[in-house]
Amino acid sequence: MTFEPKIVGFLCNWCSYTGADLAGTSRIKYRPNVRVIRVMCSARIDPTFVIKALAEGADGVLICGCHPGDCHYTEGNYKTMRRYPLLKRLLADYGIDDERVRLEWVSASEGKRFADIVDDMTERLCELGPSLVKSALATDAVER
Amino acid sequence: MEEPRIGVYVCNCGTNIAKVVDCDAVAEFAAKLPGVVVARSYKYMCSNPGQEMIVQDIEEQSLERVVVAACSPRMHEQTFRRALETAGLNPYLFEMANIREQCSWVHDDGAIATEKAQALVHAAVNRVARHEPLERMSVDMCPNTLVIGGGIAGMTAALELADAGKRVYLVEKQDHLGGNIARVDLTAPYLDSARDILTYLVTRVLEHDNIEVMTESRVERLDGFVGNFKATLGSLANAADGNAAVDVGSVIVCTGYKEFDAARITHYGYGKLPNVITSFELERMLRQGRIETKEGRPPQFVAIVHCVGSRSEEYHSYCSRVCCMTALKYAHEVKSALPKSYVSDVYVDMHAFGKGCEDFYRQSSEVKTLFLMYGRGEHPVIRKADPGDECGMLIEVNELLSGETVEIPADLVILMVGMEPREDVDDVAHLVSISTDKDGWFIESHPKLDPVATTTDGIFIAGACQAPKDIPDTVAQARAAAARILARIARGKLVVDAVYAEVDEDRCSGCRVCNELCPYVAIEYDETKRRSHIISALCKACGACVAACPSGAIKARHFTDEQIFAEIEGVLE
Ligand SMILES: Cc1cc2nc3c(=O)[nH]c(=O)nc-3n(C[C@H](O)[C@H](O)[C@H](O)COP(=O)(O)OP(=O)(O)OC[C@H]3O[C@@H](n4cnc5c(N)ncnc54)[C@H](O)[C@@H]3O)c2cc1C
Ligand code: SF4
Ligand code: FES
Repeated sequence: MTFEPKIVGFLCNWCSYTGADLAGTSRIKYRPNVRVIRVMCSARIDPTFVIKALAEGADGVLICGCHPGDCHYTEGNYKTMRRYPLLKRLLADYGIDDERVRLEWVSASEGKRFADIVDDMTERLCELGPSLVKSALATDAVER
Repeated sequence: MEEPRIGVYVCNCGTNIAKVVDCDAVAEFAAKLPGVVVARSYKYMCSNPGQEMIVQDIEEQSLERVVVAACSPRMHEQTFRRALETAGLNPYLFEMANIREQCSWVHDDGAIATEKAQALVHAAVNRVARHEPLERMSVDMCPNTLVIGGGIAGMTAALELADAGKRVYLVEKQDHLGGNIARVDLTAPYLDSARDILTYLVTRVLEHDNIEVMTESRVERLDGFVGNFKATLGSLANAADGNAAVDVGSVIVCTGYKEFDAARITHYGYGKLPNVITSFELERMLRQGRIETKEGRPPQFVAIVHCVGSRSEEYHSYCSRVCCMTALKYAHEVKSALPKSYVSDVYVDMHAFGKGCEDFYRQSSEVKTLFLMYGRGEHPVIRKADPGDECGMLIEVNELLSGETVEIPADLVILMVGMEPREDVDDVAHLVSISTDKDGWFIESHPKLDPVATTTDGIFIAGACQAPKDIPDTVAQARAAAARILARIARGKLVVDAVYAEVDEDRCSGCRVCNELCPYVAIEYDETKRRSHIISALCKACGACVAACPSGAIKARHFTDEQIFAEIEGVLE
């Protein structure tokens, strides 16, 4: 069977979730690999959510928020933007491939863009192969 | 943890969902999940029988939690929450799984879509088990309204509210009321006078006991939340006047538009060729009753060019909606003032969509206007005529209907400049916490179902600041916004969402990291307790502080870490 990566998507309620809904209302087809979790703002996305998703077996994590300047709460996504590089550095230290975690801006009118992002990310993760985080954690636990 | 009793309802949405997702299989899968005591697949969950089914199950099967797998929660979350309330269950003990917009409508493969729907239902079931009953807050609704902008939209809305006996503060930045209509002569399509419409409105507004008009003023700040805003108003004319603060329950933004700067399109020679003018400059001539060239002569050849700055890749992609009919109005007015003149109308497409407009178009062809069609993405080129020509300028057009390149004479060229957002839209958007779209127009809450509200509760938009609009549409939107506000005032109390963040004072270390993060200044620091505290009425629940708290002391109600972790486990199991 071909490898079908699992992506957990954290989408802010105002722009990105609405954008993902718009892909639906416009009947734009995309790869079925993303499973969306709605949060009020991208600034709510605690780094532990991303780590939890990887630990539970996600092959990739997609974070989406409103475009800079468009956050429903004015500046939440600037906070996300500042936190994201720190998270990426931490993940790199643990040997997690850079492309497994992505931050993208998707507005409420960008259904097509959301679909393209999911397709592209799925494609890249297929090339990368399954994430080993979950199984590594399991062996780690056994060895200890 | 003892599992609460959960009911799961998988909506087929006619065939919208069932065509791709095997809804029965999803219900069967859900039935096996921990805590689930009922799982059903049904044709239309949002219909009355669908909602009654939930109510009945809650009562008969003593359900404590409900999951509906259907459309987006942005569509029907409120509908189903109400059903729970009807059955006496707290509305927050509910969760939706989005298997339509984010599943059946975007995937073709039934087996894979069904699997995805099951994962989403699993996540919702996991999450809902951890939901807590939340009490909504009830706050007083202040019956006063702030209207920003004194154009036709602002004046109409103010009168509607004031006539109902409510107080209105009308803030206008210029030294007079009226907005752009004050610059217009007759109005399309019935050719009634803009001045008459305006005089009537301005007089009524100025004389109304319930309306306080503040010209040459601006809103400096807006604090608070729906029902209870405090607006700080400042004078632009005299800074020494100081600021005034007023209490309002709602705000209507009616800041309108400005015209496109024609000098940006160099082919038209605006600013260089003296007899190339904009629509507003012609309006001024019409109001003065004298159409003439810079040399002071009545023009023999008049040319009107449409879509200046509109419907173009380079400038604005949208249609400005009023210019086509305004152009026809000019053809009429020029012809009646100068019967011997020749009028040509250079257009891309003729947009005559409004009531009475198509008839008006037909009448215009009868007043002997020469219509020439040019292609979208092209620009006619305007140049000075050669000495000895009987006209001042020549316009070269690739005429689409004949397929030929033609040159037409002109002594006066009128550029139909489009509408664009005002320079200070971003400041206004920021001031009242609303958003603008890619073109800079304010975004409504829903384009079809809720075109006057915004995503910030208590802030409404009306008129051309939302998108280019003619007078009838502007007036309709302004009255709709006022009606929405009056309905709320009539209820007296407002129920605000129970979703907000709260600090667990026992875990708070008093580090104050969160204090600066909150965009709504909702976090206070208590110096004596050395703890931070969130004013729930100010919190909008973005969760920025929750994610930042190093002690994990802040809880986002209804979006707790535990609930989201449960969801993550659910989608991945
Ligand atoms: C050339 C031309 C001809 C037209 N002819 C017709 C016609 O024949 N028939 C028709 O139906 N429509 C016509 N229109 C359209 C018409 O102008 C608009 O429908 C109408 O003006 C919209 O009204 P408004 O109140 O939304 O905006 P505006 O008229 O732009 O009024 C907005 C007001 O808000 C004020 N304001 C802006 N920002 C602030 C701020 N930050 N603080 C305080 N005050 C602020 C402005 O000073 C202004 O007074 C024409 C438009 C053009 C360009
Ligand atoms: S609940 Fe949503 S998905 Fe189900 S029938 Fe109604 S609209 Fe369609
Ligand atoms: S609400 Fe979308 S990023 Fe803040």
